[in-house]
Amino acid sequence: MTARSVSWTDPKSIALLLERASGSSRGARSPAAAGTRGSARSTTVERARPAPVEARPPAAPKAPEPKVVPKLEQASDNPSDRLDTLVAWTLDHQPCTGAFVADDNGLTLAAHGISEAHVSLVGPLLSALVSIRSIPGINATAGALLLGENIMSWVEARTERGGFCLGAVGPEPLSALALEQLKEALELTLQGL
Amino acid sequence: MIETKALDLAVQDLRNILRDGLIATDIWDRTDGLSLAGHNQQPVAVALFTRITAELESSLTDSNFPPLGRYYLLDMGGNHTAVVINHGTLLQGMLVDNRRANLGILISVAIPRMIEAVQRAKTR
Repeated sequence: MTARSVSWTDPKSIALLLERASGSSRGARSPAAAGTRGSARSTTVERARPAPVEARPPAAPKAPEPKVVPKLEQASDNPSDRLDTLVAWTLDHQPCTGAFVADDNGLTLAAHGISEAHVSLVGPLLSALVSIRSIPGINATAGALLLGENIMSWVEARTERGGFCLGAVGPEPLSALALEQLKEALELTLQGL
Repeated sequence: MIETKALDLAVQDLRNILRDGLIATDIWDRTDGLSLAGHNQQPVAVALFTRITAELESSLTDSNFPPLGRYYLLDMGGNHTAVVINHGTLLQGMLVDNRRANLGILISVAIPRMIEAVQRAKTR
């Protein structure tokens, strides 16, 4: 018996073919190729999937917008009219139940919704602030004072004739913005006194 | 030299400020008692307050007290206040109804304005 002859085959070319075949097979299954395909597939999957809804924090309640306060307009040259206009403007546009204008001795020049006894507090109050103002950097021309259930907020302005005070009485102290508005209005009014 | 027209304007300004709280006012020369301007003028009050002011000034001087300043007030019966302003050679009296005039406006607004206005009238 003779062994099967494969003499018609060239061992070298067979080896080359085997190597090529195994090489192409390895190339087709290479991890890199597989990875590329895998990523492409995963991208497709991601695109198809709906984007997750971001968890939003619960909407905070909107703070009330600050009320726009019109600037005080003084149409009269008469000091009494100007003071009355200032008090009316304060009552209309600031959260208060009473308003007044007093001099630095605590004498009432105009008032509504507050007794003269309360207004007279301004005299000793402003006197006390004189020494506080001697501290460098302390302006102390505005403030608030607790009066039982109410709070009196005031601003002060000075002229050649002395100091004058515009005050407002209400359940809460006025904001810094409101005090600035009061001071501007008081200074405008005092220009005609 | 005093411009009486400027005094009249000052009196008008005072009336505008105190409105019906001002019952009467006079501005007069203290040497001769001659009224130069006023509203509802009161010659008797002019003579009275000239004398009271002179007495007050001499009493203050004799007592070594500081001299009379810008004004003095008298609280009178019937809700009346009398104010006498010292303008130097001139005096001014005012009779004010307390119920209608605001004391703060009187002291912090009306009197300082009056003093400035009379001073201007004197220097013109």
